[in-house]
Amino acid sequence: MSQANDHPNINPLREGLSTRAVPQPCSVVIFGATGDLTHRKLIPALYNLAADGDLPPAVAVVGFARREKTDGDFRKELEESTRKFSRQPVRDEIWNTFAQAVYYHQSDFSDEAGYKSLAERLDKIDTERGTRGNRLFYFAVAPDQFEPIVKHLKAAGLNEACEGSWARVIVEKPFGTDLASARELNRVVRSSFSEEQTYRIDHFLGKETAQNILVLRFANAIFEPLWNARYLDHVQITASETLGVEGRAGYYEGAGALRDMVQNHLLQLLCLIAMEPPTDLSADSIRDEKVKVVRSLRRMTKEDVAINALRGQYAEGAINGKPVVGYRAEQNVDPKSITETYVALRLFIDNWRWSDVPIYLRVGKRLPKSGTEISIHFKKAPLVLFNKEATTLDQNVLVIRIQPDEGISLRMQAKMPGTSFRIEPVKMDFHYGTSFGKASPEAYERLLLDAMSGDATLFARRDEVEEAWLFIDPIEQAWHSKKDAPPLCFYPSGSWGPEEADELLAREGRIWRRL
Amino acid sequence: MPATAENYSPGLSVEVAKIDKELKKLWAQNEGALTRASLINLAVYSEAPGSLDKNTQLISKIARDHACRAIVIGADRNATENRVEAWISAHCHVSRAGTKQICSEQLSFLLEGPCANLLPSIVFSHLDSDLPLHLWWQGEFHDPMDPQLWAWVDRLIYDSHDWENFDAQMRLVETAQHEAKERVVLCDLNWTRLDKLRFAVAQFFDHPASHHHFGTIESARIDFAPGFRSTAVLLAGWLGAQLNWKIETAKRGNNFTFADANGRKIDITLNERDGEPVSQIVLTSKGIEFVVSHAKGADLFEVWRGKAGEKCTHQLMPAGNNDPVMLVSDELNRGGPHRVYLHAINCVRELL
Repeated sequence: MSQANDHPNINPLREGLSTRAVPQPCSVVIFGATGDLTHRKLIPALYNLAADGDLPPAVAVVGFARREKTDGDFRKELEESTRKFSRQPVRDEIWNTFAQAVYYHQSDFSDEAGYKSLAERLDKIDTERGTRGNRLFYFAVAPDQFEPIVKHLKAAGLNEACEGSWARVIVEKPFGTDLASARELNRVVRSSFSEEQTYRIDHFLGKETAQNILVLRFANAIFEPLWNARYLDHVQITASETLGVEGRAGYYEGAGALRDMVQNHLLQLLCLIAMEPPTDLSADSIRDEKVKVVRSLRRMTKEDVAINALRGQYAEGAINGKPVVGYRAEQNVDPKSITETYVALRLFIDNWRWSDVPIYLRVGKRLPKSGTEISIHFKKAPLVLFNKEATTLDQNVLVIRIQPDEGISLRMQAKMPGTSFRIEPVKMDFHYGTSFGKASPEAYERLLLDAMSGDATLFARRDEVEEAWLFIDPIEQAWHSKKDAPPLCFYPSGSWGPEEADELLAREGRIWRRL
Repeated sequence: MPATAENYSPGLSVEVAKIDKELKKLWAQNEGALTRASLINLAVYSEAPGSLDKNTQLISKIARDHACRAIVIGADRNATENRVEAWISAHCHVSRAGTKQICSEQLSFLLEGPCANLLPSIVFSHLDSDLPLHLWWQGEFHDPMDPQLWAWVDRLIYDSHDWENFDAQMRLVETAQHEAKERVVLCDLNWTRLDKLRFAVAQFFDHPASHHHFGTIESARIDFAPGFRSTAVLLAGWLGAQLNWKIETAKRGNNFTFADANGRKIDITLNERDGEPVSQIVLTSKGIEFVVSHAKGADLFEVWRGKAGEKCTHQLMPAGNNDPVMLVSDELNRGGPHRVYLHAINCVRELL
């Protein structure tokens, strides 16, 4: 009848209350606690979880950073930023209770003593707040800081938990800048934390619509039989933004759009679209299938890069009627920079399902509209019945909008009313915001909760990351080779990218989908 | 445009036979400006005087989060003359994206006299096709219940708190469910009322290190407001069912005893006092108290555990409230079966 005593580790009082894994009490230690990510995303996410009752009461947050400040100062700063960035209004009584469990720990990342005192402080918090010896370390710092942090955590014995408790680490992107650096980063993290303890966060996977891709594909019988090379013409994945480099020039100059967006976010979306059905919904079953997709990506030679990959950089132009400067004129950007702000790729997955189905990815800054979407273009119906003059049949297109205005639409053909036989495309549209009044949690809320629950499904595994770099590296190398490097194309801000990107599709009679 | 305004009257009066035509007209007039949305059919049935206006108000709030085709029925079975009237209206609000008006349509019916028995025919002929039917039945069920109706219902929403004779009413519901081949999910708002409280209690025992308390809980004290004894008993039933306790003394009073599989006794005390339906529960195990207490004047619980009289850290958790809009919204959000509810009922049936 009930679960009591049948499963010693299951709380029988949880039965029927929630379908998700239960987050455990823990201390969340944020390295880089004074940074933007902490203020804009992490603390607002934790506050929202607390306000919605999803956070166990026994959760403490310890900010670890170099600057001198007291717990009180830290709480005050966080309150201000949470009021600004929280998705729901901050309620004083909830904030005050939440803030009681927020602490600041001042130390340099390379100061061994700082970690010893952190360990003592965490033990004290365990006693006072019932956090049960569970620790979640969040690296909201640049990758070059990982090594000292990881090393000192290990030296202080914080990488291992006591019996019945756990220690986990969340690593923010970028996961390296190429395969070698990714392997090095993984080596550094692995020197103290096992793969099971490591959670590589890609916030795209925390978005409701990204999670819905698996539901759409595997909970609906109508799509999967058509989801293969026999019926699909091609796939487009677009991530466009109106923003320029903003204040991130320091990072972006060394990264570029390929590393910043394609290696992680876009390839993760591609995996969800292209993967085979997993044997179950466990983290490793899903990630096993995802990694097979990345592994099956056809690697590009230097010649292939010239044909199938295109890079661009925004020049001056206008966004929403307002003039904007070109990338090279942005603050802290080299006036001769060859960093790409736009990438278009034509790629193939060499497996049975996707044989010779082109997949087009494009990502860019300073484009006319912000949006991320995946469009699945089906082959045209045979022109046997309707191939009369002035009748051009369009393709069926299934569009999955990741952001904004999350939803799904299906374009199909319909006869226009009247005595003539005119066929026009029509669209069936599903909007999350229209059908479901309830707002989705922010991606970071979902992902933090998953990490506290030990559910790594929405986090990237080491082999996924490394395989992705194996695909990306030849493109980067070709673009930066001294001899015969494909040119960097320029596009005016506010346009849909370089004209050469249209050519990538036009030579096969295709066009980019209009967003 | 009176039919789509945010008001609490049933809307535009229409002939029953012309409802579909009038609905089409309503949407055609506003094409482009309004988007119709519907995820469920939500039928609401009440025999209380003035229920059409009251339920229209509730639907206008529920539809903000749950796009639906609402079918609101006000019935007076005791009237001698037959009378059927119908209205159509729409509840619109600006979407989260802030660009569109999203609307749920409402069909309202007043059924008086013997024609109140036409309920199944009225409901079935106006369902939005392919969408599940949730029937919110307000008040007491009649004996016998119309099997034709239950065959189509996916989720039956009711509030056992309103029932005078729990046992008789529950048997009617269970018979209906049986006749519907167990397809109907029973959704008792009196159980939904306990959701957040159960959540707050359950979290004390999430960590395996606290599971030993399941075998050592000695007592539970539950404070309930006048009129909400059944809610408190359901809460005790939940603990009993989930922890494999059996009722030892089946008296309808406010003190009773469970026994666990080893014969150990667990004393339950129900304490009536003004406030929220269930304002506090205290579980005691080996001198440690696990307390969930409704914070005064707020929709929050204070939760804490510790030795009696000792200072310990209080946390806050959402408590929700007893508003029918919230309760129904929570129920619509949840979905899925209610097996635990049925276990809880069976554990304390004779006390309800």
